[in-house]
Amino acid sequence: MTALAPAVAQPRRPVPWRRLAWVTWRQHRAALAGTAALLGGLAGYLLVEGLIVRHAYAGVTSCRPARSAGCQAVAGMFNDDYYGTAQTLSGILQVVPVLIGVFAGAPLLARELESGTFRFAWTQGCGRLRWVIAKLLPLAVTVAAAAGAFSLLFSWYYQPFFAEHADGALAPQLFGLRGVAFAAWTLAAFAIGAFAGVVIKRTVAAMAASMAVWAGLDLVTVLFARGHYQAPLVVSGANPGYGNNWVVGQWFTGPGGVPVDQTAVRNLVQHAPPSVQDSANPNAVLAWLAQRHYTQWWTYQPHGRFWPFQLIEGGWLLALSVLLLAATVWLVRRRAA
Amino acid sequence: MNVIEAAGLGKRYRRSWALRDASLAVPAGHVVALVGPNGAGKTTLLHLAVGLTAPTAGRVTVLGGVVPGTPAALDQIAFVAQDAPLYRNLSVADMLHLTRNLNRRWDQRRAEARLAELAIPLRRKVGRLSGGQQAQLALTLALARRPALLVLDEPLSSLDPLARHDFMASVMAAVAEDGVSVVLSSHVLADLERVADYLILLSAGQVQVAGEVDDLLAGHRMLAGPAEAAGDVAERLAVVHVHRAGALAHLLVRSNGAAEPAPSGWESSPVGLEELVLAYLREPGAAALPGPLVPAGRCAGVTS
Repeated sequence: MTALAPAVAQPRRPVPWRRLAWVTWRQHRAALAGTAALLGGLAGYLLVEGLIVRHAYAGVTSCRPARSAGCQAVAGMFNDDYYGTAQTLSGILQVVPVLIGVFAGAPLLARELESGTFRFAWTQGCGRLRWVIAKLLPLAVTVAAAAGAFSLLFSWYYQPFFAEHADGALAPQLFGLRGVAFAAWTLAAFAIGAFAGVVIKRTVAAMAASMAVWAGLDLVTVLFARGHYQAPLVVSGANPGYGNNWVVGQWFTGPGGVPVDQTAVRNLVQHAPPSVQDSANPNAVLAWLAQRHYTQWWTYQPHGRFWPFQLIEGGWLLALSVLLLAATVWLVRRRAA
Repeated sequence: MNVIEAAGLGKRYRRSWALRDASLAVPAGHVVALVGPNGAGKTTLLHLAVGLTAPTAGRVTVLGGVVPGTPAALDQIAFVAQDAPLYRNLSVADMLHLTRNLNRRWDQRRAEARLAELAIPLRRKVGRLSGGQQAQLALTLALARRPALLVLDEPLSSLDPLARHDFMASVMAAVAEDGVSVVLSSHVLADLERVADYLILLSAGQVQVAGEVDDLLAGHRMLAGPAEAAGDVAERLAVVHVHRAGALAHLLVRSNGAAEPAPSGWESSPVGLEELVLAYLREPGAAALPGPLVPAGRCAGVTS
């Protein structure tokens, strides 16, 4: 017989989290470095470009008298010079959350399952539950925090364009880059990636699948969900979009308040007198229609709902991420080798 | 104390049973060879014992009643899976550090001393080590955890003969040094014959033979005699397997020791472990498990 220590007499103090966190750091520092490089590079560019934009914008704000044609021209030149870049940049940044999330999240467990190293990891003294929590939690918090810090910088960079009323705060291409949304979408991508990894067990397939799922979720959110976080306001007449609100729908009503479809309105407009059709005034057609008791209606989300919408979107994304991460932990616990 | 104890243990993957109704007790202080053909359920049994898999039926305990996969079990059992999976992109030193951080019990000096002895450079990436070195590193990591039970799944299958010899020498040194109980599986018995003192033969998900090697060898004899009389002998003795070659028949019989006289006209000789295992593998119906001898006259298959 060997000298076996009786199992019950073992110290019950588990392996400290700090030591498990070192393991996570050592194994995933490349992914973290990649994230840091991507965000750091973009942040450096944003910082430099932001300073240039602010310097140029100082010329717009200091122009007096503010409403004069000369000052409007200065503002126009500012927009011509910098707004295009800002739009391109915000277009590129849309994919950053999914890149970070998927590259950090999907291989996390898929690689262990694919290469068989989970059989090593899950038979160590710490146990697989602590092992997986020590991986998921620090990485999730890190990528979300990095993304959050980055979106603060983006908001700072973009501020002059809001001040110039170039965009509404709820504009789909900007909403996801500011507030808490950027961090929340990054966290969701990480959670989707981690979950896909433990379900699919193949690194590349898990990355592809989680990118597809994330993109689908983003699309559905922007097209169908976000406009309904709160009941949209309804207004007739002038397009509320000019007030930087987010227009989510519009239609016409005819005489007697009956809704009419767009084709009928188009046919009618074609029969308008040339003086109306060729008018330089963009509101001439609407005015002409109004005389015939045709009214244009709009549903829109006022730009003042930016923060409520951010919190709603951030909230459900956080809930989804927590759910997916919990499911991932559960699958690791339950999974048979 | 039994390091592994199973009762009615079964594991089903989707439709098919990888292991079925396995009952066994592996006593501590042995080097246990778990042998059986490919697909016999060896890996499944080991995965159940180290807590990687949960049983579908029955139960398994380790180290005298501990449930596999619990902290107490994980703490005291070191497992090296088939092909010794390690993080190939880490250096040997990082691999040591990582394993140390994943465990409460860890003997850094022992690990470093072993690696120095094996001339495995600490700075080299695991993926750049030879197959034999990777296996030795996996064993080093396992032994540095100072386990009460060391479980090795097909540790030799991917090694060349020299690496096999070195690996087994390392295992035996650890056994001599701190008396760790060892369970190792292989589908090649020759690998384990020299080192194992306890044998478990698994075939088609069932435990067919289990016992100390010395007892098994003492409890079996090979009888050689006229082929036409083989049937008569089978009536009287517990014949495991009959091998006919022309007029001559070789019978593997269970006996109560060499003292038992051979039937007249038959020559009795001791049996080797490999012969014994092969005979049982050819007779899936026969079993040699701890307990009373099977009654004489049981059916035995015949090969020629």
